[in-house]
Amino acid sequence: MFTQQLINGLMLGASYALVAIGYTLIFGVLRLLHFAHGEVFMLGAFIGLHIVLVFTGVNIYVAIVGAMIGTGIIGVLIAVIAVRPVSNKYPLAPLISTIGVTIFLQNTAIYIFGGTQVAFPSTIDPNLYHIGGVTISSVQIFILVMAVALMIALWLLVEKSKTGRAIRAVAESHETAALLGVNVNYVVLLTFLIASCLAGAAGVLDGVKNSAISPFMGLEVAVKALVCMLLGGLGNIVGAMVAGVLLGMIEILSAAYIGTSVRDLMTFVILILILLYRPTGLFGTRVVGD
Amino acid sequence: MIFTGINLILAFSFYVPFKTGQVSLGQAGFMGIGAYASGIITVKLGLPFPLGLVFGGVVSGIIGVIVGFPALRIKGIYLLLLTLGFAQIMQVIALTWSYTGASDGFQGIPYQEHTLYYVYAIIVILLLFFHRLERSSLGRAMIAIHADEEAAEVMGVDVVRIKLLAFGLGAFIAGLAGCLFAHYTTYVDSLTFNILLGVEVLMFVVVGGGTTYLGPVLGTCFLTLLPEFLCTLRDWMEYIPIEWTDSYPWDVSYEFMYGFLDFENEKRLIVYGMILIAMMIVRPQGLLTRDTIHRIARLFGLGKQ
Repeated sequence: MFTQQLINGLMLGASYALVAIGYTLIFGVLRLLHFAHGEVFMLGAFIGLHIVLVFTGVNIYVAIVGAMIGTGIIGVLIAVIAVRPVSNKYPLAPLISTIGVTIFLQNTAIYIFGGTQVAFPSTIDPNLYHIGGVTISSVQIFILVMAVALMIALWLLVEKSKTGRAIRAVAESHETAALLGVNVNYVVLLTFLIASCLAGAAGVLDGVKNSAISPFMGLEVAVKALVCMLLGGLGNIVGAMVAGVLLGMIEILSAAYIGTSVRDLMTFVILILILLYRPTGLFGTRVVGD
Repeated sequence: MIFTGINLILAFSFYVPFKTGQVSLGQAGFMGIGAYASGIITVKLGLPFPLGLVFGGVVSGIIGVIVGFPALRIKGIYLLLLTLGFAQIMQVIALTWSYTGASDGFQGIPYQEHTLYYVYAIIVILLLFFHRLERSSLGRAMIAIHADEEAAEVMGVDVVRIKLLAFGLGAFIAGLAGCLFAHYTTYVDSLTFNILLGVEVLMFVVVGGGTTYLGPVLGTCFLTLLPEFLCTLRDWMEYIPIEWTDSYPWDVSYEFMYGFLDFENEKRLIVYGMILIAMMIVRPQGLLTRDTIHRIARLFGLGKQ
């Protein structure tokens, strides 16, 4: 029973982690709380759904890739339209601009797709595996494998590649990076692209897991992922991954052993405790000079 | 009218802590506290409405000060998240507390037919208060804290006391708004005071301009009346001669615009979102700033040079 709950928590945590990574990447590079990131996640789910619905019999991997491309474009558009032209002179202005994007995207989605839950068709043959008293379905394995693969790919990209080095350089200091020949604007756009792709994939995975999506799912996940970002430490990618999984586990376990109404409460109690006692997160913030 | 007024009171409740540089997304939570606290007074204890109003405001204000203490230590996005978390916790409590109906919502709150007078009386009092505040030492201290906290402290401003006061006062005003709201709609539940309400309140102030007390007034009026204006625009569209919209690109775009400019909620919010983004690009300091007011005043031959 306990192991079963742990696996459920892991599933939930995986999607939190994927969204939280996006937040933390963008925060690291721009010092910006990208409020609309949850909406990108939601749009990813809808793009995935429409790929599955329009091309019947299509592979779920195609839907994920399609959603990633779609949300990648959306993310870059957000950066170009709503983030870059806003001056940094007023510290709140970029944040409020992304709140505007949130309102815009959420209501556009309600306008286009309707304000109700939509069923996400099952595309994977549901098989149940019993491993030592624990039941795990093929859907769960699929989600877990995909999430881990994406996270490893991201980690390799950021830590090992030349592009990743440029992203980390920009995160330290825009000026220094520019002096060293890094194209800062390009790196910022790239960061938005990567973060949005991850959120899009997470959206489809969430649709597969819950077999229902709605335009309101974005805000909910956004708030949870924000907590993960803080828990892991601002700008700390590995921290965000671990914190995502941790939060997912805490939620599922508190729902299972204390009561379902406590579930959301736990998240925010954790949030407030972190803010008060450990604002740098569990694993240290990577943001310099804030 | 009444909702515009309540929105304005809420905008003021955001404006007070904002004056000291504290950005709160939790005003919806304080509004909820005010609504529930006053509801308990009038429904469960059967006491008259004015008492409920005062009680709702005071309870909310006290909780505001309690929340304000931890908020002193943190700022920027941390504070934003703290207040967001606070509003969420309030929502969960409202959802689970069976004394006030839990998930069924708080029902049967007595209808107050004089809400309009109460709302506008409070607005007038607040406007007078802010007008006085602008020139008082307290108001100046708040502005100093907003500009530079350390410098203000060095100059002998009691930063802790003033920030707490501002936060508590903001919560108190939000509590009043909540009480008025509850006794006008006669029903509140946990979803009434959600995150988006907090965001909308922030929008009122930011669009109007957060440096002067007239900013929230303008912002609230502008954003609340905007849907009405869009509706009027739609009526005007009917005067466009039919020949103009006969041929291909025009007939489609006419249909689209006509369908778009109506009163429905999500379309209103789509336009809000676009306005917010455009505002931040073009005029991040808000529509009204102190400079603009002086300039307008000078235009009419008022005010000092």
